[in-house]
Amino acid sequence: MASSYPERRSPSGRFLPPDPRTSEPYRFTPQLALRVGVLAALALIIFAILFLRLWALQVLSGDRYLNAAQNNQLRTIRVEAQRGSIVDRSGRTIVSNVPGTAVRIWTADLPDEGRYAMFKRLSVVLRVPLPRLTRALEENKGDPLTPIVVKTAVHEDQVMYLEEHRADFPGVEVTSTYLRDYEHKALAAQLLGYVGEVSPEELERLEKSKDRDIRGGEKIGKTGVEAAYDRWLRGTPGTDQLRVDSLGQPLGRFEPRRPAQSGYNIRLTLDVGLQRAAERALRDGIELARQDEQFNANGGAIVALDPRDGAILAMASNPTYKPSVYVGRADPKKLEPLVVEKVAKEWNYPGINRAIAGVYPPGSTFKPLTALAAISDGLLSPYEYIQCTPSATFGLDEHEFRNWNPYTNMPMTLSTALSQSCDTYFYDVGNRYFERGERERPYWTKMQAWAKKFGFGQPSGLDIGGDATGLLPTPAWRREAYKGIDRAWNPGDLIQMAIGQKDITVTPLQMAGFYAALANGGKLVTPYLVQAAERPAAEGEPAVPVLTFPASPAKEIGVDPAALQVVRDGLYEATHDANGTSSGVFGSFPVPVAGKTGTAEKVVNLPGYPIGHLEDQAWWCGWGPFDGNDYVNSRGGKRTPIVVCAVIENGGHGGTVAAPAALKVFEHWFREQAGAQGVVASD
Amino acid sequence: MIEYASRSRPVAREHLDVVGFLRRLDWILLLGVGAIVAYGLWAVAGITRFDVEGDENYYVVRQGIAVGLGFAGFLLALAIDPDRYRRAQKAIFGVTLVGMLLVFPLADATRGSKRWIEIGPFQFQPSEFGKLLFVLALAGFLADRARRLHEPKVVLQAIGLAAVPIALVFKQPDLGTALVYGAALVACLFVAGIRWSHLALLVGVVALLASSVVWFLPAVGVEVLEPYQAARLNFTNLEEDPGGTAYNQTQSITAVGSGGLDGRGVQGATQTRLDYLPEHHTDFVFAALAEQRGFFGAALLLGLYLLIVWRGLRVITLARDAFSAIVAGGIVIAFLFQIFVNVGMTMGIAPVTGIPLPFVTVGGSSMVMNIVAIGVLQAIHARGHLGRRRAY
Repeated sequence: MASSYPERRSPSGRFLPPDPRTSEPYRFTPQLALRVGVLAALALIIFAILFLRLWALQVLSGDRYLNAAQNNQLRTIRVEAQRGSIVDRSGRTIVSNVPGTAVRIWTADLPDEGRYAMFKRLSVVLRVPLPRLTRALEENKGDPLTPIVVKTAVHEDQVMYLEEHRADFPGVEVTSTYLRDYEHKALAAQLLGYVGEVSPEELERLEKSKDRDIRGGEKIGKTGVEAAYDRWLRGTPGTDQLRVDSLGQPLGRFEPRRPAQSGYNIRLTLDVGLQRAAERALRDGIELARQDEQFNANGGAIVALDPRDGAILAMASNPTYKPSVYVGRADPKKLEPLVVEKVAKEWNYPGINRAIAGVYPPGSTFKPLTALAAISDGLLSPYEYIQCTPSATFGLDEHEFRNWNPYTNMPMTLSTALSQSCDTYFYDVGNRYFERGERERPYWTKMQAWAKKFGFGQPSGLDIGGDATGLLPTPAWRREAYKGIDRAWNPGDLIQMAIGQKDITVTPLQMAGFYAALANGGKLVTPYLVQAAERPAAEGEPAVPVLTFPASPAKEIGVDPAALQVVRDGLYEATHDANGTSSGVFGSFPVPVAGKTGTAEKVVNLPGYPIGHLEDQAWWCGWGPFDGNDYVNSRGGKRTPIVVCAVIENGGHGGTVAAPAALKVFEHWFREQAGAQGVVASD
Repeated sequence: MIEYASRSRPVAREHLDVVGFLRRLDWILLLGVGAIVAYGLWAVAGITRFDVEGDENYYVVRQGIAVGLGFAGFLLALAIDPDRYRRAQKAIFGVTLVGMLLVFPLADATRGSKRWIEIGPFQFQPSEFGKLLFVLALAGFLADRARRLHEPKVVLQAIGLAAVPIALVFKQPDLGTALVYGAALVACLFVAGIRWSHLALLVGVVALLASSVVWFLPAVGVEVLEPYQAARLNFTNLEEDPGGTAYNQTQSITAVGSGGLDGRGVQGATQTRLDYLPEHHTDFVFAALAEQRGFFGAALLLGLYLLIVWRGLRVITLARDAFSAIVAGGIVIAFLFQIFVNVGMTMGIAPVTGIPLPFVTVGGSSMVMNIVAIGVLQAIHARGHLGRRRAY
């Protein structure tokens, strides 16, 4: 670089050193003026752009950005609504809530580094398996604003530890929640159902049904009443807003925006006392069967309902479980009998509500229906005598059908046949249906048609759902279900159906519905369990019903009243006549009870037995008082009529096992005691 | 010869006639800068009130100290005849390079880049001071070859000279400052008087280079930029990626927009106060100002900048010699470029690069350098045509 100024050689002499005094003075040339002008124009354009942009942002769309800025710092949090309680018919609590603690993770607040180490520590503190934590986090990936509930029902020590070491667990929050509380332990477990975290499939289904007020991680009723009446029980979550900074750190306290609305209470038709009695009676019945050397007795069901409107008063199913195993992050070991098929089988499926979903051949408890059908169809006169024999042969192949009682041989009218549960009498009736049907095909399905009118072969329409259909075999069904020669409709199909055997299956609830129709004079009721949704009231005040679910009106079946009366009389004789199948049980009971035993053979695959092994299912169904009106007990208490239907799986004879169990339910309901029980002669 | 005769005398007179010298200053420019500095301090006071717990004036005090230092530098710059810079251009160039090289072994990497050298309690950012020194050295080189600037060789020499500090700054890595240097280079060449055709070629080459760095080379697998730089340059697709790299700019635009006509105030400006707006006292200070003070406040600042740029451009026209004119041009255009890129960045019309907003951004080096640069402009003005004409 040149060191003199300006660096210019003299124009005159090329070899002369530059002479500063000959230098041209610097002038502000027009060229430079143009350039400065260009720069000025550039500056003006730039500032114009900046001003216009500023104007556009701040003045033209300022409101929009203001809104965006305000949303930035407010985090809306859903506040769990307290789930409604479930109470019995007189308002006694069955299921309620207790406050509990829950630990949840806000994914947005997790540290970038050391996440895994923190999870490890958390899993140790909470005793939650690490894989479950990481899996939950993975599933939640797309939704950083929904906290993941890691564990509910957290122990106090764990809470204390987390609170003390809060700095070591960024993003982990200890919060309060509501936990389902089962005051009566396992009482009515299957019908109440349980509550759990909503699954993705359920979310999808709810989304379709326009019920969008639920988010992942929230609780929903899974089965039973909890599921069927979830919309009422669930309540409406509230929202709180929390001011947070850009790191999600809360600034100040929650500001409630919309308070959570507790769910409605659900009032059942169930009677807690009777339910407890029924469950105990069922256990006793199973125990009784085992004492009677029926060692495979391992389950059963009892249904008690009001024959006038179908209100279910008790519904027991055994084996059972404690719904509390579902509360919180459940212990997988305790859940196994309910969710793992192999273990469930070992425990004989405690999760199944056998009263509505268990299907059994009805056995002799079906005979009243055969009788009603045959009389109505003109195939039987109630007063004609049919010889009751140890066995009878029917059909071209002279197939022998045996009576349960090999010592009987006498002519019987219908009421005696019902009372003593004569099989051959009803074989004959069944055979009449078959023979008539050979000439007029409709007769092959007429008995089933009557059964259908009395509620068999179809869901009973119970409001909590889950009720099984059972099976009413018909020629059409048989053609569908079997192959080859077995597709034929044989005399045995109807002969055995007449005593409730072979392919026919029913649920205890259907059976109870049938006996309710016998009790109320021929009207089919729709069983129901929930009578009202109520707004929880303050302490000491009556609850306010929000919506009542009235009983569906009973449907007139159209059965001949005279035929009905004969059948009813026969069932009364069965419990009171000297040779009645359950007279020994009910004979001394002050309340006039009528009912029928049943001992139904069913193929049961039990470990250690050959395939096709038959076990007797013990039944008893009946009602009291006999006239179907209210009963005034010895202490002057007025009690409404009741239908009880009991089944003991693999329990042996209905009269020895199921009838005593049913009696206990009657005893509790009517507050009366039966005298000494006599010897039972039972099918 | 009158010119020549008068040449030696004003130097002597300057020492005597302080009042006369002060009268030859551009007082409008001075008042404008004073107003911006004061306004900037006031704005920073509001913007940083919640940043340091327990000391809400933490940044303002530091900024005030920087202003004081800057004013001392300003007085010094007034006293120095600009021609001394020209004569010392080699030394200046050397100091610039040494400062930038020192950064590499000495500086702590802050947010992945090495820009600062710590001297005692102060952090010193060579590349900020380099902005002024670079212009001085480059202007010296160009002024000495004013008559040969039509030769492509001289232009290429100048570019080659400038490329060294630009490359060093780019390597720190500080893309934004490197761009400022580039803008200053183009401005110096332009004012020095290179041919329009050369200028067009230069602009074309720069555009080609930039686009190849950003688009073409990555397309064939050569990554020149750090990934974060590449992502930030791609500032047009904010909507697609609100949580990622564009987060800062989205929040910045929201902050500016939410300010509305009259601002949300210090308490109400949640974007700034709750840290949604990142770097709100440095790179995104304009967004914070716009949020707190609204359109009126932001427009006032832009108006003051316009005033400074206008007076700065006017200094070019009054310059005594080519060197002074080039220096004035480089300084003013560097200012203009920084203002545009920084303010544009906060409003989503320029890429996110770490360019400070002159006189407002919290940062000692930048503040001192900017005030000193104004001092240099004033020195040029005081010794320029107008001053002399008024004096005589």
